[in-house]
Amino acid sequence: MENRQLRIMVIDDEQIVGKRLKSALEKTGDIIETFEDGVKALERLNNHPFDIVVTDIRMDEIDGIEILEKVLAKSNQTKVIMITGYATVEMAREALAKGAFDFIAKPFKPNDLRAIIDKAAKELRKN
Amino acid sequence: MDNNLSENSKKPTLANALISQAELDIEKYSVFSKALTERPSLSIRTKIILTFSLFFALCAIITLWSIVALSEIEDKINFLETADNYLSEIHQARRFEKNYLLYRTNVNDALEHLSNAEKILSEKGKTIEKILGEKHFKTVVLQVKDYDNVLNKLSKTRDAAIISNIEPTLRENGSKMVSFAEDFVKKERDSIARMLSLSRKVPFFFLGVLMALMIFVAILLTRQLIVTLNRFVEYANRIGEGDFSPITPVRKFKDEFTQLAKAFNSMTRELDNRHKILVESHKLRAIGTLVAGIAHELNNPLNNTMLTASMLKEDFSILSEEEKLSMIDDIISETERSRGIVRNLLDFARESEANLNSLQVQEIIDDSIKLVSNQIKLAKIRLETDYAKDLPHIHGDEQMLKQVFVNLILNAIDALPQKGSIFISVQKNKEEEGYITVEVKDNGPGIPEHILPQIFDPFFTTKTKGKGTGLGLSVCRGIVRKLGGYIRVKSSVGSGTVFTVLLPTTNIPSEISSGKKEH
Repeated sequence: MENRQLRIMVIDDEQIVGKRLKSALEKTGDIIETFEDGVKALERLNNHPFDIVVTDIRMDEIDGIEILEKVLAKSNQTKVIMITGYATVEMAREALAKGAFDFIAKPFKPNDLRAIIDKAAKELRKN
Repeated sequence: MDNNLSENSKKPTLANALISQAELDIEKYSVFSKALTERPSLSIRTKIILTFSLFFALCAIITLWSIVALSEIEDKINFLETADNYLSEIHQARRFEKNYLLYRTNVNDALEHLSNAEKILSEKGKTIEKILGEKHFKTVVLQVKDYDNVLNKLSKTRDAAIISNIEPTLRENGSKMVSFAEDFVKKERDSIARMLSLSRKVPFFFLGVLMALMIFVAILLTRQLIVTLNRFVEYANRIGEGDFSPITPVRKFKDEFTQLAKAFNSMTRELDNRHKILVESHKLRAIGTLVAGIAHELNNPLNNTMLTASMLKEDFSILSEEEKLSMIDDIISETERSRGIVRNLLDFARESEANLNSLQVQEIIDDSIKLVSNQIKLAKIRLETDYAKDLPHIHGDEQMLKQVFVNLILNAIDALPQKGSIFISVQKNKEEEGYITVEVKDNGPGIPEHILPQIFDPFFTTKTKGKGTGLGLSVCRGIVRKLGGYIRVKSSVGSGTVFTVLLPTTNIPSEISSGKKEH
């Protein structure tokens, strides 16, 4: 089955990001869940496997790097895409070194993210 | 509002602000320099000249007295010599008088000696008269004459009855004459002895008086110099702390120190101008730091706007009217959010001359916290505030005070490890009336005691090269001193640091502060 539904989680403490990305990413027929709270997102991840996790790096309670570590600890198949407001080389390097699939800098267009998700989906299908 | 219009149309630049401030300052300083020079002059040189003239006059007086006393003693010695001659002549005359009365011989010898005495009186009359005075001299001359008359009478008779008749008068006149002269000679000898002993004592007495006077004048002059010098040391310390208010006249007279005060005033004016440039350039650095955080913070509303606008365009044909409106509302509110973020920084960055106003310090601290909120978030630091109720307004400059608090908070952030905390409190000052106290406390590693006294010094920094200029706290102190306040630090290694800023309160109500933020 070529186009199996992907389970994608979006974590960003900006409510609008979740709202817009949900409708943008659902168009491909994938299942999208959005969270503003990193703790709740991690709880959900414990119960449900996700194929792709898109997370903001800088958040109040738990930051994106921590989420990345926890997700990969649970399943190294999951592709984690980092959103950063601070597109510095070090931040990206740290995330990539820790196993992130890719990163995207704010502000971005829905299509930018879609392209990265497509790339991640292709990787997933390879396995 | 007019105020704002003119402000905007004028577009104050750093240069303009500094120039107009400098013009104002020149006016202010020229007033003080006038006040300094418009006092009557009593220079240190005049004082020294006056003192030495006084000493010279004293020496001259004592020298004159010595000369007069010496010449008087000389006169008296001359008189005594003459008086001795006179006395011996009249003693001789009396001896011959006795001989005549006893043996009827030598009356001519007596007369001869008497005429010798008279000759002395007439020859040295001036010397004698000078000492005896006119009255006594006349008495002496009269006594000699009386005696002479009686003696003459005696010499012209051989009649024993007449002789015995004259004898008592002769004896009486003779003894009167001798005792009067002897009396005078004795008196004059005593007087010479007195004068000589006085002449011996006076120089010592004079030396004592001169020494006491010199010590007094020396103490007076040096004390004046030292008091003034100490005042200048105080001025220098004050200037070092960033208080650039000009020196005002303290004494009634101007002297060489007035020139120094004027030089100080022109120096502080220069320093003040340089300090303004320093404050501005330091602000630019602070802005640089803040911009990094603000750029990060701006990305959120920008991202929200971009995502919303993109989706609105993408789904334009399928979205309901209601959904479209809600998305447009999102775009508007996110744009407003961006404006809010930028505006606070712009308020802070706007170049303007010092503008003293009645201010609510809590608002300034809240604005400062907003400016550094991203640095706080990035460093994961907890910041708490505690403002006392019913705080009086303070007298200060909004932008300058923001610069102080932003700087203090940024310093605390730099010092704190991740998850440290900063506590800011505002209270009425309990010890000093008319001040409110702002405390910026952190629970960081603290400042070692040996560098604590230096932290306000310009160019002192503990940060690595390139990270800090070492000007932040020096600029803070400069600003706070300029606003009439104080800044203090208390710290110990391990228990964190507290910066305390005391700011003067004001009774003047806040003016047009509500319209200030409208652009």
